[in-house]
Amino acid sequence: MMLSQAVFVLFNGLASGMAFFLVAAGLTWVFGILKLLNLAHGAFFMLGAYIAYTIGGSWPESVWAFLGVALLSAMAVGALGYLTDLIVLKRLRGVDYHYALIATFGLMLFCEGVAKAIWGTDYFAVMPPPEVDRAIVIGGSYISLYTIFVIGLGILTFLVLEIIMHRTWAGKIMRAVSNDPWMSGTVGINVPMVLMLSVIASFALAGFAGGILVPNQALSTHVGASFVLFAFLAVVIGGLGSIRGTFIACIMLGIVESANATFLSQYGGIAIYVLLAVFLVWKPNGLFPAQGAT
Amino acid sequence: MGQRTLNIGATTGTPITVWLGPVALTILVVLLYFAPHLVNPGILFVVGMTLIQSVFALSWNLLFGYTGLPSFGHAGFYAIGAYFTGAALRYDFQLHFLVTLVIAGLLGALVALAIGVVALKRLTGIFLAVLTVALTEALGKIIGFSPALGEQDGLGNIPRPIMDFGLFTVDLTHGDDYYRFLVVAVVAIVAGLWWVVHSRLGRAFRAVRDDADRARFVGIDVLRYRVYSFMISGGTAALAGALSAPLTRIVTLDQVNWLASTQPILNSLLGGFTSFWGPIVGSVAFSTINYWTRSFPGLSEMMVGGILVVVILVAPTGIVGMLGKLRDRFTKNGDKA
Repeated sequence: MMLSQAVFVLFNGLASGMAFFLVAAGLTWVFGILKLLNLAHGAFFMLGAYIAYTIGGSWPESVWAFLGVALLSAMAVGALGYLTDLIVLKRLRGVDYHYALIATFGLMLFCEGVAKAIWGTDYFAVMPPPEVDRAIVIGGSYISLYTIFVIGLGILTFLVLEIIMHRTWAGKIMRAVSNDPWMSGTVGINVPMVLMLSVIASFALAGFAGGILVPNQALSTHVGASFVLFAFLAVVIGGLGSIRGTFIACIMLGIVESANATFLSQYGGIAIYVLLAVFLVWKPNGLFPAQGAT
Repeated sequence: MGQRTLNIGATTGTPITVWLGPVALTILVVLLYFAPHLVNPGILFVVGMTLIQSVFALSWNLLFGYTGLPSFGHAGFYAIGAYFTGAALRYDFQLHFLVTLVIAGLLGALVALAIGVVALKRLTGIFLAVLTVALTEALGKIIGFSPALGEQDGLGNIPRPIMDFGLFTVDLTHGDDYYRFLVVAVVAIVAGLWWVVHSRLGRAFRAVRDDADRARFVGIDVLRYRVYSFMISGGTAALAGALSAPLTRIVTLDQVNWLASTQPILNSLLGGFTSFWGPIVGSVAFSTINYWTRSFPGLSEMMVGGILVVVILVAPTGIVGMLGKLRDRFTKNGDKA
């Protein structure tokens, strides 16, 4: 194998892996704490992308403007998350998870309908910010700077979430609520508040991912579905609710997908399912099984 | 979960309600059979697809409503049936059409057996749901790579069959004739499923659903009955797909993704998964909403999604469950759960 090919596979794999992780982070977070598999996550990711496109236009002025737009869409989708929690998700706490799956699926369809009604069915394209809109040569292979930018942001997001979850008070409280909501309530934690804030954080993460990844592919109402499927696979392989497991699973999925596309391009996209099948048989509860997850 | 009252075949009540069901069903079937004389071809196609979706939803609900196993990749089975029948008719496998249908159903059941033996041993709930999604996506990829199955373009120009019974032939090449065959086939399948859920097998499925540990304790082989349910469900879904191929005359990859898999789920939940007839009611309701809202971009998704959320929040037992509650309230002699 040529060095340039190896570098190419590695960087592309990391880039798609980090793109999956940006989407999967919110998904796994809300699953870890609320035990709710949010099928609508991809739809809110898509709304985030549309909001970023509407605020920022198709040509960002600089990396900072681009990041600012992503943060704005994170806030907007976080606010939508608050509304959704108030109207729908709050009533799903404690019901059988089948109902939650169907309700969040209904939410997903609803969001797609809203996006179609507001933005139409045309495709939009957004360019990466000018500073990262070029390629550099690493090990004889051309790598887009935007790719490295996404990888960096993915790793940064992971570190921030890890620190919040394992090194801060807020993380301790969230883990306590996730393990035993009743007991957490008796020791004076405001459980409904923690759950609501977790939902808002998860939605904000989806909105942020939408803003960051919008130059990655043409923007349409289907943009959520393609990312969220991989995010589901990553969350399952990683162990439902484990951010660390999801991160590792995303990297694996990204690299396998990229190697598959490079060396077996005529059968592109199939290796991921082989990987998933192996994992579900070998480790049915994922890499880092979360306690209490079903 | 509280809402799982078994209201199957609820024929307790006054003698009128006992007769009402069968009479209404007979009238409905007769109306369906003569529909080609009553409605235009566009609506006839919608009615035909609704019949197929009803069978598809019933097959999903056998798995979920009766055995407690969610499959989010049921479109895979549907696609196996549709692609097999499509290929058999298009490349003229020299099979009798009824034999083709039987093989399609058996193929679905065999694939379900393979998945069931490997996966059901350890996976239930969300893991099973995700595995079935992934397998369906993988199947879609494989079909996308197969030139014989039309790759990304789908399998088009599927001829409708002519059935040769030796003494006489039944020509289904005309759309109306195929539709009538479809009505008969769907009634037969629905009757078969009705028999399954009211037999010992159906009782065992419900026992496994309600409490797997206790079912095991009274001597039910839980894994075996889960696999049976998966096989019957997969086979029926494949039959639904097989019946759809000559109606639509094209089979495409749109039928093999996880969004297509959610159609039977929607229909079952909308109609009510605690009742045998719920999935059919849901399919009819869904087709009607879809038909009315089809020309407004986004409205159809908003309506369907919104209705689904409202149904889950307000009436988790679906339309049939809600009607049952209303009936109990008005008649006041229904045995309350």
